[in-house]
Amino acid sequence: MATDKKTMTLNLTAAEMAALEKLSDQKDLSKTAVLRQALRLYQLIDSRLAQGELLYFEDKDKKNKSELMVL
Amino acid sequence: MSDRSRTYLKDLRTGQLAEASLIDGVSRDEIERSESLWRPILLESLEIRQRSGIAKGSWPEHSHWDWRKKHAATEGLIAYRMFGVECEGDMQGLMLVSTAGHPCRIAEQRGKEQVYIDFVASAPWNSRELVDSPRYGLVGRVLIATAVQLSLAEGFRGRVGLHSLPQSETFYATNCGMTDLGKDTKKEGLRYFETTPAQAAAFLR
Repeated sequence: MATDKKTMTLNLTAAEMAALEKLSDQKDLSKTAVLRQALRLYQLIDSRLAQGELLYFEDKDKKNKSELMVL
Repeated sequence: MSDRSRTYLKDLRTGQLAEASLIDGVSRDEIERSESLWRPILLESLEIRQRSGIAKGSWPEHSHWDWRKKHAATEGLIAYRMFGVECEGDMQGLMLVSTAGHPCRIAEQRGKEQVYIDFVASAPWNSRELVDSPRYGLVGRVLIATAVQLSLAEGFRGRVGLHSLPQSETFYATNCGMTDLGKDTKKEGLRYFETTPAQAAAFLR
């Protein structure tokens, strides 16, 4: 399995670090793994939006749909 | 980027283990070659079934999958990984997985990350549904084990999920020891299976 990895230093604000630590705890993942997941999702969503698709959140009970705008 | 490591399949003609390559990052050329070998066999098999009046329900359910399209749709997206098992110079099985966007559903691990198997298939000459004497066994097992290993490497603790075609349900429930969470009405009524870390560890033993 491919294991070649590059290292970088990341500068985060205290609030960003707190959010990262919370997600790391909730998702049972290392902080690096959380950031890798975020990058995967960001690239996937960006790619699909670029192809003209839309991203929605749907309320399970009320069946309301709201489009999520990604910049 | 492609990476190869050694694995083993069972040569069903001799009963011996055969050295094979596990490919992480199957290339477009490798997919083209696989499809050009797989497709004629699948089409011939379907024609024979049609001529023989065999009910569509017993045809191989993944025969319509087009791996070229799957490769093209996911190439360059880091949330997807395509694996292949090559032996005797031919692709013996393919698997497309996603590593983001499919949170776990089992209550004790709901919302946690996992490796989701989008598609997995053996070459048609390895399928008992298609040929009388399949060439290689263990293809499915090697690929599912690869998904579990990837899950461990990603920090997902071996958690793996998938929607199964009806013909493969027994394999995932019995051979892989996955939990059957029932039919998913949002996914063509296919049954959804998932592993816990304990099940994944048991599967790899």
